[in-house]
Amino acid sequence: MKQRLPLLVFLAVLVLAPPLLPEFYVTLLNYIGLYSIVALGLVLLTGVGGLTSFGQAAFVGLGAYATGYLSTAHELSPWLGLLAGLGITAAVALVLGFLTLRLSGHYLPLGTIAWGLSLYFLFGNLEFLGGHTGLTGIPVLELAGFKLDTGREFYYLIWVVLLGAVLATQNLLDSREGRAIRALKGGGLMAESMGVDTARTKTIIFLIAALFACVSGWLYAHLQRFVNPTPFGLHIGIEYLFMAVVGGAAHVWGALLGAGVLTILKQWLQDILPQIFGQSGNFEVIFFGIMLILVLQRARDGLWPWLVRLVPVKVDRQRTVAEAEPLPCRQMPAAGTVLLEVKDARKQFGGLVANDNMSLTVKAGEVMALIGPNGAGKSTMFNCISGVDPLTSGEIRFLGERTDALVSREMARRGMGRTFQHVRLLPTMSVLENVAIGAHLRGAKGVLSSSLHLERAEEARLLAEAKRQLERVGLGEHLFEEAGSLPLGQQRILEIARALCVDPYLLLLDEPAAGLRYLEKQALAELLRKLRAQGMGILLVEHDMDFVMGLADRVVVMEFGEKISEGLPEEVQKDPVVLEAYLGGVE
Amino acid sequence: MRMKSLVAALLSAGVVTFAYADITVGVLVSATGPAASLGIPEKNTFALMPTTIAGEKVKYIVLDDASDTTTAVKNTRKLLTEDKVDVIMGSTITPNSLAMVDIAAEAETPMISMAASARIVDPVDAKRRWVFKTPQNDVQMSTAITEHMNNSGVKTVAFIGFSDAYGEGWWQEFSKIAEVRKMKVVASERFNRADTSVTGQILKIMSTNPDAILIAGSGTPAALPQKTLKEKGYKGKIYQTHGVANNDFLRVCGKDCEGTFLPAGPVLVAAQLPDSNPVKKSALEYIAKYEKAHGPGSVSTFGAHAWDAGLLLANAVPAALKKGKPGSKEFRAALRDALEGTKNLYAAHGVFNMTATDHLGLDQRSRVMVKIEGGKWVAQK
Amino acid sequence: MDLQIALLLGQDGIVNGAIYALLALALVLVFAVTRVIFIPQGEFVAYGALTLAAFEAGKTPGTLWLLLGAGVLVALIDTVIAVRGGNPGRIKRIVLWDLALPAAIAGLVLWLEPATLPLAAKVALSLAIVVPLGPMIYRLAYQPLAEASVLVLLIVSVAVHIALVGLGLLFFGAEGSRTTPFSEAQFNVGTLTVNGQTLWVLGASCVLIVALYLFFGRTLYGKALRATAINRVGARLMGISTTLAGKLSFTLAAGIGALSGILIAPITTVYYDTGFLIGLKGFVAAIIAGLVSYPLAAAGAILVGLLESFSSFWASAFKEVIVFTLIIPVLVWRSLTSHHVEEEE
Repeated sequence: MKQRLPLLVFLAVLVLAPPLLPEFYVTLLNYIGLYSIVALGLVLLTGVGGLTSFGQAAFVGLGAYATGYLSTAHELSPWLGLLAGLGITAAVALVLGFLTLRLSGHYLPLGTIAWGLSLYFLFGNLEFLGGHTGLTGIPVLELAGFKLDTGREFYYLIWVVLLGAVLATQNLLDSREGRAIRALKGGGLMAESMGVDTARTKTIIFLIAALFACVSGWLYAHLQRFVNPTPFGLHIGIEYLFMAVVGGAAHVWGALLGAGVLTILKQWLQDILPQIFGQSGNFEVIFFGIMLILVLQRARDGLWPWLVRLVPVKVDRQRTVAEAEPLPCRQMPAAGTVLLEVKDARKQFGGLVANDNMSLTVKAGEVMALIGPNGAGKSTMFNCISGVDPLTSGEIRFLGERTDALVSREMARRGMGRTFQHVRLLPTMSVLENVAIGAHLRGAKGVLSSSLHLERAEEARLLAEAKRQLERVGLGEHLFEEAGSLPLGQQRILEIARALCVDPYLLLLDEPAAGLRYLEKQALAELLRKLRAQGMGILLVEHDMDFVMGLADRVVVMEFGEKISEGLPEEVQKDPVVLEAYLGGVE
Repeated sequence: MRMKSLVAALLSAGVVTFAYADITVGVLVSATGPAASLGIPEKNTFALMPTTIAGEKVKYIVLDDASDTTTAVKNTRKLLTEDKVDVIMGSTITPNSLAMVDIAAEAETPMISMAASARIVDPVDAKRRWVFKTPQNDVQMSTAITEHMNNSGVKTVAFIGFSDAYGEGWWQEFSKIAEVRKMKVVASERFNRADTSVTGQILKIMSTNPDAILIAGSGTPAALPQKTLKEKGYKGKIYQTHGVANNDFLRVCGKDCEGTFLPAGPVLVAAQLPDSNPVKKSALEYIAKYEKAHGPGSVSTFGAHAWDAGLLLANAVPAALKKGKPGSKEFRAALRDALEGTKNLYAAHGVFNMTATDHLGLDQRSRVMVKIEGGKWVAQK
Repeated sequence: MDLQIALLLGQDGIVNGAIYALLALALVLVFAVTRVIFIPQGEFVAYGALTLAAFEAGKTPGTLWLLLGAGVLVALIDTVIAVRGGNPGRIKRIVLWDLALPAAIAGLVLWLEPATLPLAAKVALSLAIVVPLGPMIYRLAYQPLAEASVLVLLIVSVAVHIALVGLGLLFFGAEGSRTTPFSEAQFNVGTLTVNGQTLWVLGASCVLIVALYLFFGRTLYGKALRATAINRVGARLMGISTTLAGKLSFTLAAGIGALSGILIAPITTVYYDTGFLIGLKGFVAAIIAGLVSYPLAAAGAILVGLLESFSSFWASAFKEVIVFTLIIPVLVWRSLTSHHVEEEE
């Protein structure tokens, strides 16, 4: 209850504001609300998803022009205008998303600048949209026969929409799909390996951000009752991004804060500066720019985290995982069934041959160890097997099916779980949530039910599964800690729990024992033996020879990308070629 | 004078029982953004306006809309609800003014726009009852140009205009009138204010070989097409619009603009007007005031639109004061009525005669054809 | 469209492209060294051109006051840091670079009556005023954030851009200016007329591109910058100051920007806000080059210039729509061909 207090106070203030505040403040709050809806989309897209867009203003324009045109030229209901706007925006966003979301890195922001400018000039040059001059006479919005023709009435509509959007976004982020979205920024490769379709996830948040912008545009058109291209230009698009970044792009409430601070700051500068400098100059933009720089220098993650620190209320996060019916598990194949078969695999990066002539098999119920000196190509082999990198030639079969052309998320779908040599987790997310990403494919509920939190039963089962796997690997004490705060050895163990959440037939472990203490290694070996006994196949890359030799059923030794020896641990240990590679290689 | 206004103030304070109120004028100009070259002289002009009208103190609250409609609407609401202004003046550009019409009408506050398009005041309906404007309509200026073209034997004409509301307004009016006047418009091109090159458009236009070319841009950017035309060897007639009528344009365009024709408000060539012209005196008065504050040659016709808005107000206030006190609904309504009743007001850009159906009120006397000769504006007979 | 028109359009596109190429080079340079996407690059174009124009009109350019003000601000901040850090020996250098140098430039400007000087001297003075603003802006806006994410740096860039455009309006007013050409000569090449200024633009671009190539390939500072671009931490470990590298790259960027402005001011009208779109097109070219390759950036710039020139002939109202829409497939192609296994951040 106590932690909800600030929110309740905020809501109470919002409800009471219009009758109590002077009209102009209500006007400002209306604009803040409109901007916040767009900035909220940017929080999801840029702050959380890591995709920078300068072009949101163009989507606002689509929403505004769709209803503006239909309700003036064809005198259709604004509600039809909203539907049309959403439809057009979705279509445009899908096409643009298809084109620009595949742009990686810095290409994406430029791509958004490009279509942001294009759409802006298009609005201005289409005569039926009123050209540069604009469309007048857009009708007043009617809600259940009630005309929303004053700012005070419109206020409630804007803020109900905004708070609904905030709630939906928060719900979405706290869900299976939300974890996938949060993994996009800095964890895309890992997420793909856990079965997340990152391209689809990117498209989804792009679409949501665009639709939020469109709704804001629709509201704008009926509040303003006039539409022309200037409010949808690149400069305004940049301003929306400003709002998100200044408010705190990684936080849902940052959108509101940013929109509020920037709107009020501008207003305040406009009032205060002429009193200082007189009417002659135009100092607002100069001061606006300088103040933004100062804000970013003082609080580069935005104002929201800074504000939260000021509020004395201790946020008491959820500390329990509800009991839930366990998720269905795969039936392990009989021990000895061949799970993985690699034949004559070759991987080349440009002129560099990383793997050549590699063949190996892993059977159900065995631990196969892949060893070799540093740089022998073991991790490359792992990446090829798990679909992260395509083979240059050769073939890979998983459970009899040819898989060397498949991408990593398809491998996860087929029952392959893996860890990474360089730990890949989301350091600011909790341990539990990090592990729950592994169970991504074991849930099915989509974005809509997530936003409405209609998937709580499934979510509880996913989290319970993550908890179960964490307890299994011995991290049951750390469920709610930030993953990044764990020591490196435990982060590796976390990755194993995550891979187990995939419910794999085959587990690929890349140096799982590195950084572990003796007792922890013992416990890990014990866990792997148990998994083996259940019929799981394990392919292990490891440098700790005691660990490997005590655990592995068979061993493959690699050097310079090729297999130099294969056999039982004790055979391999005696193989002169292996000894040469490990000991004689040193001159 | 000061004594007189003091007495007037005391008297009015004695008459009214409620709080003493000044006349508050809310001004919205586009002093930054793409229309800054129009908005800045307007902004400067408001600093020269009388601080008392008919004994009432006048307070001008000048805000910038950054050439953006959202800001224009936001600031208009601020002026109306926070500052409780008696009259709104602005904005500089057409889209902003159009967006403000609804709000001013809702608040039953008269508004005097300084933007060109006739759509702002025409037709005078329930909303536009409250809206007036001072700049000549594009159609009046277009007529002047087409007339001049007709008389010079122009048969084919090409158009190149700003890719914004200004260019668009001109294109709509000019293309209509040119057709009526039996001239063929052979090309219609657009360019952006900040373009660094218009070679493509100019080559396209020249490939159609027109007798004359109309360049519809405002301020110094309109010089680029003209310079390119000269560079590419165009020999026909070149027309500009009144948007270029400031000395910066002459400075930038230099000798390439020799022989160019444009329609303009009489204020541009006030000194050359015959003394019999009623506009001459009022226009010279404005020029003198402006140049005293900002240096010789600094005056622009856009500032004069703001000046005329001030004159309209000054002319209407005494009548309105009889019906209500500043700050009251009655005063605003009376002010509107008085503005609509403006008769024979000599201003910098012409003579205003408003009616219930004409909220501009300018006639033929509001425009002259001007030719650029020897780096100067020269009025044509 | 006949050949004659195509040739003229091509010429126009190449001249514009040459300017975009210069800006693209500067953008690539700044990004590679500091990870800053330098949106305000365009403002240096406007500042350079308009400062020169102010000299020609016999006025004292406002940028001079900006230089003095920024110098004082930098000096104050650095002095406080130097004193707090117990390093007062640095103050001498601070005074020299941030106070004495701007003051000397100001003294020259006020004493010399630039309007009467030959063009070359005016150009030199303009550069002397505008170029030092580059490192000062780096010091004030970016240096405290040198380790921030690309997104934060980008937003700072936009903020700097907004402030500089506002200052530009204050200094130079809303109306544009032109300057006298470096050369009034005209040459006839076949049916084409090429004027001297065009050759100046092309020549200067080529010289600058070669100079940059030599600078990075042959000089110690150039190599240090390249090292910083490739690996910031590594460069720092090798004793290359990232702060110095940042200031150096901003100096170069400011120089290239101001010079571009001075080059185009005689062939087009320059406004206080001209820089943004020119800079944006340079940015497009830089992106085509993946923000790393100088020759590709130059080629991309010419492509943008040509695209713009031809689309303004065919459909001038939709020129920007065409230019910016056609960029998207180029970007997609770029993005697909660039190898990306690891993700950024």
